[in-house]
Amino acid sequence: MHSAYGDIILSLYQPSTLPLLGFAVSLLLTLAEQEKAKQIKISALECLQVLVLQCDCQEHRHLDEDEAQQCGDLFASFLPGISITLSRVIAGDIKQGHKATVSAIRLFYLIVGLVMADKQLARIPKSKEKLLVEHSKISELMIHRGPDWTKSTAEKLSLLLHKVVESSSVHPHWKVRLELVELVHHLLRNCSQSLVDSFSHLLKALVGLVNDENSEVQSRCNKVLQGIAEQRIVAQSRALADVLSENLHSLATALPRLMNSQDDMGKVSTLSLLLGYLKLLGPKINIVLNSVSHLQRLSKALVQVLELDVTDVKIVEARRSGPPGPLQQGVQKGRCQKKYFRFFTEEKVFQLLQQVCRVLGYYGNLYLLVDHFMGLYSESGLYRKQAAMILNELLMGAAGVGVDFLQEREVPPSMDDLKRSITSILDEYMDQTNWYLVTSIDTEEGSPEQSVQHLGLAVRAGGTSSSALHLSPEPPVTARTMNSNIWQICIQLEGVGCFAAVLGKEFRLLLLSALYPVLEKAGDRTLLISETALGTLADMCEACGYSSVQCLINENSDYLVNGISLNLRQLACQPRASQVLDTMLRHSDASLLPLIEDVIQDVLSALDQTYSSQASTFLRVLHSVMTALVQWFGMPSTEEHQQRQTDKGQSRAQSQGQQEVTLTSQEVERFFLDYISQKKIAEGDLPDLEEEEEADEVPLAKPEPNSDMEGEAPMPSHAQLAKDVMERCIHLLSDGSLRVRLKVLDVLELCVTMLHPHGNHLLPMAHRVWPALVTRLVNDDPLAVLRAFKVLCTLGQTCGDFLRQRFSKDVLPKLTSSLLSQAPVSARAGPVYSHTLAFKLQLAVLQGLGSLCEKLDMGESDLNKVAEACLIYLSAKQPVKLQEAAQSVFLHLMQVDPDSMWLLLSEECCPPWEPPHASLQPVNLSGMGRPRNELTDNVLLLLQRLQQQEGTAPSSSTQQAAPS
Amino acid sequence: MALPPPDPQFVLRGTSAAVHTLHFSCGGPEPDIPLLFSGSENGFVHVWNLRTRRVDTALDGHGRKSVCCVKTMGGKDRLLSQGRDQRICLWDLAEGRTSVTDSLCTEHVGFCRCSLLQVAQGRWLMAMAARSLEEVQILELPSKTSVCTLKPEVGAKLGMPMCLKLWQPSCGSQPVLLAGYEDGSVVLWNVSMGKALSRLSCHQEPVMSLDFDSEKAKGISGSSEKVLSIWSLNEQQNLQVYKTHELINAGISDITIRPDKKILATAGWDHRIRIFGWKKLKPLAVLDYHTAAAHCVSFSDHSSPRDRLLAAGSRDQRISVWAIYAQT
Repeated sequence: MHSAYGDIILSLYQPSTLPLLGFAVSLLLTLAEQEKAKQIKISALECLQVLVLQCDCQEHRHLDEDEAQQCGDLFASFLPGISITLSRVIAGDIKQGHKATVSAIRLFYLIVGLVMADKQLARIPKSKEKLLVEHSKISELMIHRGPDWTKSTAEKLSLLLHKVVESSSVHPHWKVRLELVELVHHLLRNCSQSLVDSFSHLLKALVGLVNDENSEVQSRCNKVLQGIAEQRIVAQSRALADVLSENLHSLATALPRLMNSQDDMGKVSTLSLLLGYLKLLGPKINIVLNSVSHLQRLSKALVQVLELDVTDVKIVEARRSGPPGPLQQGVQKGRCQKKYFRFFTEEKVFQLLQQVCRVLGYYGNLYLLVDHFMGLYSESGLYRKQAAMILNELLMGAAGVGVDFLQEREVPPSMDDLKRSITSILDEYMDQTNWYLVTSIDTEEGSPEQSVQHLGLAVRAGGTSSSALHLSPEPPVTARTMNSNIWQICIQLEGVGCFAAVLGKEFRLLLLSALYPVLEKAGDRTLLISETALGTLADMCEACGYSSVQCLINENSDYLVNGISLNLRQLACQPRASQVLDTMLRHSDASLLPLIEDVIQDVLSALDQTYSSQASTFLRVLHSVMTALVQWFGMPSTEEHQQRQTDKGQSRAQSQGQQEVTLTSQEVERFFLDYISQKKIAEGDLPDLEEEEEADEVPLAKPEPNSDMEGEAPMPSHAQLAKDVMERCIHLLSDGSLRVRLKVLDVLELCVTMLHPHGNHLLPMAHRVWPALVTRLVNDDPLAVLRAFKVLCTLGQTCGDFLRQRFSKDVLPKLTSSLLSQAPVSARAGPVYSHTLAFKLQLAVLQGLGSLCEKLDMGESDLNKVAEACLIYLSAKQPVKLQEAAQSVFLHLMQVDPDSMWLLLSEECCPPWEPPHASLQPVNLSGMGRPRNELTDNVLLLLQRLQQQEGTAPSSSTQQAAPS
Repeated sequence: MALPPPDPQFVLRGTSAAVHTLHFSCGGPEPDIPLLFSGSENGFVHVWNLRTRRVDTALDGHGRKSVCCVKTMGGKDRLLSQGRDQRICLWDLAEGRTSVTDSLCTEHVGFCRCSLLQVAQGRWLMAMAARSLEEVQILELPSKTSVCTLKPEVGAKLGMPMCLKLWQPSCGSQPVLLAGYEDGSVVLWNVSMGKALSRLSCHQEPVMSLDFDSEKAKGISGSSEKVLSIWSLNEQQNLQVYKTHELINAGISDITIRPDKKILATAGWDHRIRIFGWKKLKPLAVLDYHTAAAHCVSFSDHSSPRDRLLAAGSRDQRISVWAIYAQT
């Protein structure tokens, strides 16, 4: 046969040789089926293949159409026999080896493809040709491939194909599966009309094999699919589309059940089947979608499959720890949060579902789909999360983001369409009822917030028609519902991110409505939500072309301010609005101030109206406002100020030192000049000094109307704000709640720092703050005392001697007495003591007292009081930290009054002391020659320091003096 | 129970000065961006894009002196602005230009806003307070030719004109001017004859603002006192008081009747915007948002009633935009 060429071979395939051929065929078939030896089996199959002129080798001349037709006619007689036998072989024992199966499959599709070829069938005349009479016997054997025959054969073949596909698609050897792909390919190409009924099986097999574990099968499969799509076989043939949509329908119906019962692998294959159908349908998808029942089935299936697992309590519990960190670039781009589904855990399954949705969005009618899923979204809370998830993916798909598709769609949806859909979805997402859900029942802040939320809904409802709905009593909030709510918010946030990505720069317009809610969520206390919101922000940044989140916020601060200001007007939204303001402040710079000025005023007036209920919320905002202001308008004069302070200290140190050490004439002169200027200042006679100096000193002197007038110069707005804030702080200082008081003290400290350059305004305020502050210092919770003391230190830094009198009268006695009373306790205490509040208080007081005394320039008696109180803390029995702090007090005191300190310390203990000059009387101090005690070490150390300090000043001055 | 008053739909910030006048231009077909013009105390006219809610352009033409009146002439490309620098500027804003095409000097030192009336395609009449204290001058634009000067009778002691409203009765084509004066009276002038037809003393204090509904032949005026006064014009061209409405707080700086004549809005010194039904002057709403005196109110000219907006400008530098009673 192989060697036969050209026409000779054709002569063999005349109708007259039919019986002979038949004999050969049946012989080979029997061999193929029943022979045990693999080799023979395979040879038989190969031989048969040659016999039916479908040899693999290329040397034969290709048959032209007529000849093929002729052969087709001829082989039609053998088709039943061959196909049945082969299908048996294919479905036979696996032990026969894959080669046999492979060649059986190949033979099967070759012969079927030949006989049932669409091209040939189309050419079959209606009626049977009259053959010559002598062949009448043979002609009975000949088969006329008319429509009837085609139909019945196709039916029978469909059964066989089903069998073949079923057995070989799960065949363990990949070559068999590969051959199956070829089979589908061949038949689809050649017999797409005649074998239409079998296609549901064939396609199912093909699509199912897309995810074969063998990469070769996979790639071939993909290529075949690609080929099918490219040739628009499906697009052109209505019948195929029908088959596919029918398959789709039944699959969609079974999907939830399958997802429930199958293992992960099964789920993957089921879903890839679904995906394959959709992809094959391509643009024809709309036919399916336009049928209500199809769409219903499909959407319900998706929604059910995507059901989230909401039992995890951790999500509800996970709180953002501490204040939110800065949202800089570091925020990783909005990667979706890992979700937990009820029906599957495999990530792959989710990806497939994602693809399904995207492909739907890619080909499908966007308006129809969006409308349908929006319907589901609002239909029931059960579907809401899933519908939102699907909507997000749909739009991604519609924009062609991350979709695998087999063929381009004809018309991509216009930007306008996308925008319109997205706007409507966003509106729905950010609706009051969908955006503000109960996510926590915090005892501390949550409960008022929550009750307020109810209120808010009620208030809001007043405006809308559906008021009755919201007013219905809420079901008790369980962890499950909260978890579900959290997920819903997260999904919606992710959606916003997706939409931004889809619209790109066009999204800028939507920032108007979208930025504020997202930022609000970024400040949420639930970790998951705030993280997701941050991701969304990053997405938005990228989409809209901003370089950083900060940039995004800065550029759109007007939109945010608008939102904040409007929300502040509603009691329910106040906490959230203040949160946004908070976030905004943290990520902006001074350029924002003119814009937010009136909003801060709004905050203040809102605070004025709700002192009792919302104080803590607003204080947080005030705190961030003040922090921001201090940061933006940091004090340029601080350094100056300190400079001045040290100058003062030095000059004093010098002037004091002069009495003991020999003097140069210049120093004497300087001393007197200093003295005169000090005296002048003390008399209130100020030449043109810098403003702050004036501020510090003037109020002490008799108030001059002139300087007051000058002080009326308009304050910069930030200082004005600080003043306004401080005003509120005065009222809140005596709030009932400790937490509020602590916060107020913090804010107060910032206010003081802020107002520092504007002494004319600060001092009256300080005067008003004083009484309340004293109460905090004198009898309040230790925590409050601690903070209050810090405020006092800051105040002392700026107000200086303004406070001296008040301090020594109101506060000092209490402080010293508490120090004295606590000393024995701390001396006795063990190592744990350093973690107690009492310790911290002691430490803070000791650390602050020194510099405070120095700043306030305290009088001698007060200094002595302080020194006395601190002396005990020099004891070696005290904790080391306290000792160090006490040392620092003394170091500061030495700056103010070295002599008396020296005396005091020396009285405790002192080294044997030689008078510097023989002419001087030897001095006897009580500390001399005392036995070593607990104080000795520290006192000696201090004395040494004192010596150094006093020693350096004169020595440096002598050095200076020397050249002159 | 009455519904609580709504919040503004949005608030425009960034004029950085008190807002004295507002004018919408939203009537264009779809691709046109709806605009709002605002004139502020620092002499700028801001053009707000109502879609992005941001300033598109800021026009500086009045030497940092307060802008007291902004009007469009025809489309949104031609703009008229009047400033306290005693100038009226005509702007060409087409294709992104921002140039003053023409300007004229009013030589009037008061606050009186001018009034504009289109009499034919491309021809406008403008009434403005003139140099001598009591006079009102009528000009034709864009030619700037003076039509007439309206002088009160000797000894009428009307004081300065405070507000003007040019209108055209539906039947007769003669333009008519309503002018509110410092002494609290409203005078009806026949522009072509240059003579006063009727005078009505309806306020004790200067008339701050007035608006007139030519269909119902009724008008309303507000002054610095607590009373709104509604007056009607009878067949004999006589003004007579129809009704007065007592307010809680004194001082009305602007009154506008919505183009469809169903409601009207007042801007009060008490920071509040008040909405009344025009037919019976039924109080409908008090819009409370601003934190300083409201200076002006304006209704938008959207072609579809559903989109209609109300804007109010205030001394607190903000412009609040409200969607209110849009359906009715």
